[in-house]
Amino acid sequence: MIEFDTGIAEQLLEVTTTSSVQIRVGTSNSNLVIASTLLPLLQDFEMGGVYISASQAAPDIIETMNGIGIDTSRIQFIDCVSSGIIGGTESDHPNISFIDSPIMLESMMLRTLYWLESAPQAQNFVILDSVNALSIYNDERMLAEYLHTFINTYRARDVLSLIVNVPDQTPAGVLANLDLYCSDLVDRGQILIS
Amino acid sequence: MTGINGLDEILRGGIPYGSAVLVAGTCGSGKTTLGVEFLINGAKMGEACAHFSATEPSVKLLENVRQYGFFDMDLVDQGLINVFDMDVLFSWLGLDKSTFDLDDIDAIVKAITDIVNTIGVTRLVIDSATSLCYKIPNEQLIRDFLFKLGKQLSTLGCTSMLIAEITATGTASSKRSAFGVEEAILDGIVLLGDVERMGHLLRYLQVIKMRGTDHSRAKYALELTPNGVMLTPMLKWGVNI
Repeated sequence: MIEFDTGIAEQLLEVTTTSSVQIRVGTSNSNLVIASTLLPLLQDFEMGGVYISASQAAPDIIETMNGIGIDTSRIQFIDCVSSGIIGGTESDHPNISFIDSPIMLESMMLRTLYWLESAPQAQNFVILDSVNALSIYNDERMLAEYLHTFINTYRARDVLSLIVNVPDQTPAGVLANLDLYCSDLVDRGQILIS
Repeated sequence: MTGINGLDEILRGGIPYGSAVLVAGTCGSGKTTLGVEFLINGAKMGEACAHFSATEPSVKLLENVRQYGFFDMDLVDQGLINVFDMDVLFSWLGLDKSTFDLDDIDAIVKAITDIVNTIGVTRLVIDSATSLCYKIPNEQLIRDFLFKLGKQLSTLGCTSMLIAEITATGTASSKRSAFGVEEAILDGIVLLGDVERMGHLLRYLQVIKMRGTDHSRAKYALELTPNGVMLTPMLKWGVNI
């Protein structure tokens, strides 16, 4: 039986739909932290949302989440990973749409807005998983610009934004910008001992 | 108001009533969808709209737009969306020939304006004006045709989009219009194309000119969704990669 991080649920009680939450994870606990974030949003707050997957293929995330008892049917996945793999987009899940590449940041934005327009839930979130995965493909300045736009776009639309990153794998400039833009921090990242 | 997601904000209110706008774009850039959505949104507000199809049969066009969530076949049945084949129009006018002269151009302009007048059309799309203009042998005649058509439609209070196909290469001017004369005559120019970023093509829209508006001149990323065109500002650091 998986033990969820209930501290995250307590912290999420403090945020509003205009909040932007930076979620710092480590390389080994990201699935648990993300699951512990999604669970209260879906179950307690009855929200729906969009999950932008840049670190893992969406079918794998769905399988992992469903495996630990999280119902992903109210989440629309935007998968930026699978198109890079021949045959990767052959999925039976109706709630996945595929983006050609993680460099198509504007397409991610527009697809997310499209799904939010179609969302039946009154309150929604957008989770970006993850900044460090996007930084593999995108220039630091463009990524910082995207995150700035990302936060402000959803804040203006009353959509809670959640931005996952592994701090020691995220460019310093991007990380500094996240600290500046985000209203809240869930810190479950690795502590570097030098 | 065009009713197209984001475009009215870019235009700071929409296309001024009675304007003739050139929508120039490369293949696959979303020109036809933009034009059809402009008409559908008008029809949903009770406006009579006309689509003149010069590149594909109207039946095929209707079949293609059925996939979009914004399309409603009832609008066609109610007579709010009227689709015409240019080839059929040319046959009616006895213009089954490879090139048009001034009289032919006058006859085409009159036929279109008669339709607009009879039905009370307030939104019109010609897709594409380029394929029509290919039959017009020189720039002066093309200029005459566009000027007369734009003026007549404007007088009738009809807002029009003339779709133009352009190539991705060439001079700045040839990237905006197929014949180099359209942009000077018409009230507005909306450019559609692709930005290449690390081997991927991202669609964009840019309003070059729109008389009577304080429009944005920035590039906007464009996505074709089941709900139609969606636009968001293109990332500044991502335009020239």
